[in-house]
Amino acid sequence: MFRVMLYNQWKWSRLIVLLGSVAGFALPIVSVQGAARADASPLVPAELLRTVQSWGVLYPVLAATLGLLVAIATWTPDHRGRHVHALLLPVPRWRYVLLRFGAGATLLAAPILAVTAGALLATWSATIPAGLQGYPATLAVRFALAVLVAFSVFFAVAAGTARTAGIILALIGAVIVVQIIAHVASVDLDLLGKLQIVILNWPGPLAIFAGRWMLIDV
Amino acid sequence: MSRTRWLLPFLACTRALYGQDQSDLPRLKARADSLAREWRRANAVANAIDSLERTRALAGRDTIRVGALTIVTNPSPLPLREAAGRAWPVIDSVYGDDARQLAHRPYAIVAVDPDTTVERPPRHSGIEVPWDQGVASLTQLLLSSVPVAPADTALQSWLGGPLRPLADPDAQWARVYIELVTAPSHASRRCLIGDIGGCRDALDLAEHGDALLRWYPSPPERQAVVLKSSAYFDRGAQLATLQTCAHGSDSACTRLLRSLPPGGLPRPLTYDARATLIHVALQRGGRAAYHRLVTSAGLSIADRLALTGPVTVDSLLSLWRARILAARPAPGALPPLGIWIALGWAALFAACGLWSSRWRGN
Repeated sequence: MFRVMLYNQWKWSRLIVLLGSVAGFALPIVSVQGAARADASPLVPAELLRTVQSWGVLYPVLAATLGLLVAIATWTPDHRGRHVHALLLPVPRWRYVLLRFGAGATLLAAPILAVTAGALLATWSATIPAGLQGYPATLAVRFALAVLVAFSVFFAVAAGTARTAGIILALIGAVIVVQIIAHVASVDLDLLGKLQIVILNWPGPLAIFAGRWMLIDV
Repeated sequence: MSRTRWLLPFLACTRALYGQDQSDLPRLKARADSLAREWRRANAVANAIDSLERTRALAGRDTIRVGALTIVTNPSPLPLREAAGRAWPVIDSVYGDDARQLAHRPYAIVAVDPDTTVERPPRHSGIEVPWDQGVASLTQLLLSSVPVAPADTALQSWLGGPLRPLADPDAQWARVYIELVTAPSHASRRCLIGDIGGCRDALDLAEHGDALLRWYPSPPERQAVVLKSSAYFDRGAQLATLQTCAHGSDSACTRLLRSLPPGGLPRPLTYDARATLIHVALQRGGRAAYHRLVTSAGLSIADRLALTGPVTVDSLLSLWRARILAARPAPGALPPLGIWIALGWAALFAACGLWSSRWRGN
């Protein structure tokens, strides 16, 4: 059953997975190009850190994009068939959802492996100045977790109806509106700031995306 | 004829001015003396006011003593005793026997209402602290404003400020490591890879040679330093030179750096680096180390550090470098439980997929 579902899901999301894998493999390699000169100039370390940090912004973006697109692709066949096929299958619903999730997560292993390979190749080929060090394994683990969190968030949202998505969006909109009204009324209320701290700081759900994504660091 | 026609009035004018200068000199001198008298009088009044304010600020207040550390403050919920308890061992470890002077040099702390709409009492001597501060921030405050007698000017100008205990030692050591790695200076690079002479240069302990060439020997380094300080050079006659430097002219960059006033050339490493070096010397030197440091004012900084140690400067620099390398900061990756937390959130969101209204509707 899992194999059938995996194959079905592959057909729907192969383009996303392939493009994501190519981008994931290229990103670490591109991030160390140019900056890692072989000379011993004292300007190189700071320059290299700046470049790696600039490119590092793209890792969480790629992770979130992959999670979103694969999660959407995971539920698209069911949405198209109005879930009739899924409901006709002789499996409990929790198992069906688990199979869908497992299949999506399995497909996401390809871009994660691509990032790992790219990061290993980039740190191996780059001339890293004294005092700096490559962290390909740490980066790969972090990328894998970020992809998994993004996929599960969007998987939950995509599993719902348009009404559910509407409620979530309305909630976000309501917070923004309340914040704007509080600002206009000069009320000392920082909802967005507090929300940001709760969500983006550990142990928040999206904390894995925050912070510096450094392939090479001190 | 025309030349003499202009020359005569000119000579007459200079003569008149000279005459005026001669006659005005006693008057101007008297005015200057009078201004000096007024300045002295104003200074005396200001000192008297300061003294009265200090007496008023300290009179009828609580006195907190932990070791020799003494705090005079007004009654408030500030956890000063706890903060003093944390700060005192650190202060004692830095100043050693000289920390005893704090018994006679109290902190004057004025606890004020944190509500900014409440009117503050008139200005007193002492440090105003909102009374909702926590122990950690109060400890930092006590460490960063220890009222010991200031060290001599030579030491302070080398250090780049007064000598204080390290308020956040782990972070400061880690910052120095980052500085050592990323400073655009050949000297700090040499120090990083183990050349003690490089450490000596980077910490401004070498007494001979041109500082500019010792710190920034290559044209790209000099250009980087100028561009980093471009806000200073971006004015007047230096603007054109700055632009030439930005386009890669080393002579222009060097000219700009040499135009800086004595001691104005940006040093490769910051206060933290030099402060950590002094702390290594103080830790090695025992309780009398600080006293040796401040009483050796006539010597060079390198000799003073050697006396403080008491070891050779190179040994001190080796120790300092080893500690800096050991303080390499952990890469900004995941917290210890980060992996499990992320997996937990992923599992939770995946489980949310089961609660789809579409499923429940059926």
